Amino acid sequence: MSLQLQPVQVATGSEDQESQLVFHEGFLVAILVRLSDLHETDAGKWFLEAGFGRVTDISGPTFADIDEAQAWICARLGSSGT
Amino acid sequence: MTGSLHPPDTHPFVRKMESIALFPLSREERAALCALPMHVARFDAYQDIVREGDRPSRCFALLEGFVAAYKTTPSGKRQVMAYHVVGDVPDLQSLHLKVLDNSIATVSPSRIGFVEHDALRVLFREQPKLLEVFWRSTLIDAALVREWMLNIGRREAYTRLAHLFCELITRLDAVGLAPERTCAMPMTQPELADALGITPVHVNRTMRDLKAAGLVTVRGRRLTVEDWEGLKAAAEFDPAYLHLRSEDGAKLPTS
Repeated sequence: MSLQLQPVQVATGSEDQESQLVFHEGFLVAILVRLSDLHETDAGKWFLEAGFGRVTDISGPTFADIDEAQAWICARLGSSGT
Repeated sequence: MTGSLHPPDTHPFVRKMESIALFPLSREERAALCALPMHVARFDAYQDIVREGDRPSRCFALLEGFVAAYKTTPSGKRQVMAYHVVGDVPDLQSLHLKVLDNSIATVSPSRIGFVEHDALRVLFREQPKLLEVFWRSTLIDAALVREWMLNIGRREAYTRLAHLFCELITRLDAVGLAPERTCAMPMTQPELADALGITPVHVNRTMRDLKAAGLVTVRGRRLTVEDWEGLKAAAEFDPAYLHLRSEDGAKLPTS
């Protein structure tokens, strides 16, 4: 399974702006936002700002890097690889 | 150990009951509350005091600290239903509901006074008007959950957090623990997320926004309200659901 990333800025109302739209087979499945220094020890992690369909998760998981985030999204979509 | 450790005027449990009673407690009623046989125990933070499924033969009053009533999904996701503050009896329903349908854990190091159900039954037999006050406290606990349901279900994160702060300050003030609208706020951001139904990331962003708006400051796990009218407006806060005597004052009998 492959995901396509598209860098965007998301207006989260905070300094958390650097973001990636995540597409799978042409469909937007998730929006990942890189956490800013506002989040201190979590700064630099990627946050699931929004997930769609099977990628929905109301607990708002965070990931150490973009690869980990993609692996998690792929697992949610039903595949083990990226 | 008994409640006589506390002078009647400062016994938090008595103070709480007086804050919600619709009549002034008589000297005998206050003395009977203070004389309730109480087994006092200390708990560290994050300890369960009672667990869902327990069949307790006693209730507890919170004498110091903070506790949270919560439930979890089978996968371990946690929802806090209510915070309880000093003076509350968070599991009073166990007197009549034999199986607890929620757990209660400490949020900060706490001192708990356990009271046997039988001792409460004796109290209510001897001081029947106190039964009304205890009944009223369980009704107020239910009102609090209704307000939380509205808060979590239909308010945005900013309003939710502001509302929780307004509620904590108001309830702690009723038992004398929020002087100048400052109070202990031992909950971490992930814990607040469990209470508000939002992510810890959103708690952090929202907390920053409330501070930036000049409504609150948080230092060393203490919350200070800098602009009470502004915070209440942001929170859409109406304390009527807390049914405090100070709020219901006009309805008190004068005799």
